[in-house]
Amino acid sequence: MDGSEPALRFDHASLAYGRVRVVEEVDGVVRPGESVALIGPNGAGKSTLLRAVLGLVAVVGGRIEVLGRTPARARRDVAYIPQADTLDAEFPVTAGQVVLMGRYREVGWLRRPGARDRGIAAEALDAVGLADRAGDRFGTLSGGQRQRVLLARAIAQRPRLLLLDEPFNGVDAVSQDALLAALAKLRADGAAVVVSTHDLALAHLACDEVCLLNRHQVAFGPTEDILTPELLRAAYGGQALITDGAVVAH
Amino acid sequence: MSLLVEPFASPFMARALAVALLLGVVGGVVSVFVVLRRLAFVSDTLTHTVFPGVVVGFLVAGTNGIVWGALAFAVLSVVLLTVLSTHARITEDASLAILLTGFFSVGVILVSRRPSYTADLTAFLFGRILTVDMRQIVVTAILGAVALLTLAALRKELVFRAFDPAGAAARGYPVVALDLALNLVVALVVVAAVRAVGTVLVIALLVVPGAAARLLSDRLAAIVVLAAAIGALGGWLGLAASYQASIEHGLRLASGATVVLALVALYGVAAAVGTVRSSARRRGRVTP
Amino acid sequence: MSLLSDDYTRRALLEVLLVGALCGIVGVHVVLRRLSFFTMAMTHATFPGVVLAAIVGIDLLLGSGLFGIVVVLGVTWLSSRSRSDSSAAVGVVLSAGFALGVALLSAHAGFTRDLSAYLVGSVLTVQPSDLVKTAIVLVVVLAVLASVGKELVFGAFDRGGLVALGYPARRLDLLLLLLVELAVVSSVPAVGTILAVALVVAPAATARLWCDRIGPMTAVAVGLGMASGVLGVLVSERAEVAAGAAIVLVACAFFAGSALLAPHTLTARAPVPEEAR
Repeated sequence: MDGSEPALRFDHASLAYGRVRVVEEVDGVVRPGESVALIGPNGAGKSTLLRAVLGLVAVVGGRIEVLGRTPARARRDVAYIPQADTLDAEFPVTAGQVVLMGRYREVGWLRRPGARDRGIAAEALDAVGLADRAGDRFGTLSGGQRQRVLLARAIAQRPRLLLLDEPFNGVDAVSQDALLAALAKLRADGAAVVVSTHDLALAHLACDEVCLLNRHQVAFGPTEDILTPELLRAAYGGQALITDGAVVAH
Repeated sequence: MSLLVEPFASPFMARALAVALLLGVVGGVVSVFVVLRRLAFVSDTLTHTVFPGVVVGFLVAGTNGIVWGALAFAVLSVVLLTVLSTHARITEDASLAILLTGFFSVGVILVSRRPSYTADLTAFLFGRILTVDMRQIVVTAILGAVALLTLAALRKELVFRAFDPAGAAARGYPVVALDLALNLVVALVVVAAVRAVGTVLVIALLVVPGAAARLLSDRLAAIVVLAAAIGALGGWLGLAASYQASIEHGLRLASGATVVLALVALYGVAAAVGTVRSSARRRGRVTP
Repeated sequence: MSLLSDDYTRRALLEVLLVGALCGIVGVHVVLRRLSFFTMAMTHATFPGVVLAAIVGIDLLLGSGLFGIVVVLGVTWLSSRSRSDSSAAVGVVLSAGFALGVALLSAHAGFTRDLSAYLVGSVLTVQPSDLVKTAIVLVVVLAVLASVGKELVFGAFDRGGLVALGYPARRLDLLLLLLVELAVVSSVPAVGTILAVALVVAPAATARLWCDRIGPMTAVAVGLGMASGVLGVLVSERAEVAAGAAIVLVACAFFAGSALLAPHTLTARAPVPEEAR
C-alpha cells in the first residue's frame, strides 16, 4: 500500500448545484489512517461536500482527488454511510441482508453473492458487535444498532475511504462505543475517515483533523488547533452556544 | 372442492383460468416491488396512459393490434413518467393525475367516434377474459416471462435501490435507469393483462397481492412467493365465483370484477391474520 | 351562435359552468394538500355508489353522496391504520370500489349505455333538476369554505400549528374530504367518475403555475374550470366526440401549456397565504 499518497485531497474546491455555488474554497488533505471531522451549522454544505467526494455534485472550481483519482473513478473504494433514520424501518430486510448489500458492487450485475461474500459480510457484522442480530429485521433494531449495521455494510465493502453523515445523532452510548471501536480498527488498517458531526467531544476523541465549514472553509487543521471558541464562533456565525462539548443553538 | 374444479371443464373456461393464473403470478411478483417502492399511483397512471394505445392499436389492426398499441404507449408513458419524476421540483401527484386523465380522455375520444362505443369501451376497460384464445395465452406468457426475468436479473440492485436510494447512488448505481426498468416491468404487466382484465382492473393485480403478502411476512423471499400465490388464488377463486353465480343463481357477474373482489377478500383475510400475528408477537415479547 | 339555441346544449353549458367553478374552488385545497391520488381513489370508490343509486332507483347525487361519505370515512380510517405507507391501502380501496361497481352493473343489466355515462359522463343529457342540485352543492361548498377556508389553508401548511392553536385539525381534514367527495359526485353527470379527478386537479394545478397567492389562485382555478367546461362542450359538438373527455382534454391542455410558459414553472413551492406576507 502506498502510504505517501493522500486518501483525499481538496485543492481549492468549490461546489455548485446547477448555477448556484453552495460551497467555496475547501482546501486540505486527509492521509490514509487519518480521520477528519466536518463541522459546521445546518446548511453549511457538509452533506454537499460528502456527495462531491462521491462524484455526485459538480466541482466548479479547483479539484477534488480521491485516492489519486477523480471522485467517480474512485467510487468502488469509497464507502458512504447515511444516517440510519433516513431509511424505512418497515422494509422487509434483515440486518444481515443489509450488510450483504455492501458486497453487491463487487459481485456485479446479474450474479449472486457467494460464500466468500457472505463470509465477509458476517465478519463485518461481527466487527460492530451485532453478529447475533443478523437474522432480525433491520427495523427492529435500535437507532444506534441500525447505524452500526450501516457501518458494517461499509466495512464489508473493504473501502479505503469512509464518509459518515452525522453518524452519532441520537445514538446510545453502547452503540457509540461500538462505532468508535470499529472506526479505530479501520483507521489502523489504513483507511481514511471523514465524519460530519455536531459533537465536538467526539471530534476531540476520534478525529485527527477538523474542517470547519460554513459555505466556505473557515479552517482545516489539527483538531486542537481548530476547535477553539473563536474559530467555532466564526464558523457558526457568531451565535454558537457551546455546551457540554457539543454545539447547541446556532 | 368440485365447486373450484368443475367450472374449468370447458375449453374456454380452462383458457381463462390459464390466463388468470399467469397474470396472478406475474402481477403478484411485480406488485411486491410496487408496494416496496410505493408505486401504486405511478402504476395507476400507467394503466390509464396505456388505454389510448389500446384504442389506437385496435383501430389500426383490429383485436390483434391491441397489444402492440398498448406496448407502444406503455413505453412512451414510462419515458414521460421517469422524465417527469426526475425533475423533482414538480408536485408529483398533481402531474400524474393530469397525465393520467389527459391520456385517458384521448382514448375515450378515439373510442367515442365509433358506433360500437359502449361495447368497445367496456372491452378495453374491463377485458374479456372468457374470450381469450391460445394466441393470447402465449402472448401473455411471453410478456410475463420477460417481466419476471428482468426482475430476477436485477433483483438485488432493485432491492438495494428501494431500501437506500442515497446509498445506491453513492455506490454508483444508475438509479434513474433502475427506476425506468421497474416502471417498464410494471407497464409490461399492464399490457399483458389488457385483453383479459382490461386496463382499469389490472391495478388490483399490481397492488393487492403485494400489499396482502406484506401483511403476512417480514421476509422478502417469503413475501414474493406469497404474493404470487395470492395473485394466482385470486384469479382462480374469482373465475370460479363468476361461473357459479352465473350457473347456480343466474347472476351475471363480470369475471374481471370477481377476480379483483376475490383478491380484495384475500387481502382482508391477510389483514386479519396479520393483526393476530402482531398482537401475538407483542404478547410474546415479555422482556424483564 | 346557432349551437346555443339547443336546449340540451344550453343546459350542458350551464352545468359545466357550475361544475367547473365547484371543482376549481375545491381543487385548490386538493392541490395544496397533495390529495390527488386520494381523490382518484375516492372517484373510483364512489363508482359503486353511483351504480347502486341507479339500480335502487334513488337520486344519483343523494345515493352516491351517501355512499361517498362511507368511502371517505373508510379510506381515512385505513390510511391512519397502515403503518408507514397508505398508498397501498388506498390502491386496495380503489380496486375494490371499482370492481364492486362493475360487478353490480353487470349483475343488474349487463353493460349498457349507462356504464359509459357513469365512467366518462354524458353531459348532454343533463336535466334541469341536475342543474338545481349542482347549484345547491356549489352554494353549500362556497358557504363552508367562506367560514373555514382560512383554517383549511393554514392546516395545509402547518398542521402542527393548527393543532397547537386548538383547532380540531382532524375534523377539518375530514370536512375537506367530504367537500371533495361532493364535488366529485356532482361532476359525474358531466365527466363521469374516471375523469372527475381531472376537473378537480388540473385547473387548480394550472392556477398554481401562474399565481403565488391563494386568492388569485382560486379565482384562476374557477375561471379555468369554467372555461374548460365551456370549450369542451363546444369542441365536443363540433367534432362529435365524447363531451366529458373533451372537457378534460381542454383542462389538461391548459396545464401543459402553462407548464411550458408560466413563470412559476412546476415548482413544489406552495402559495403563501395573505397573512404571512
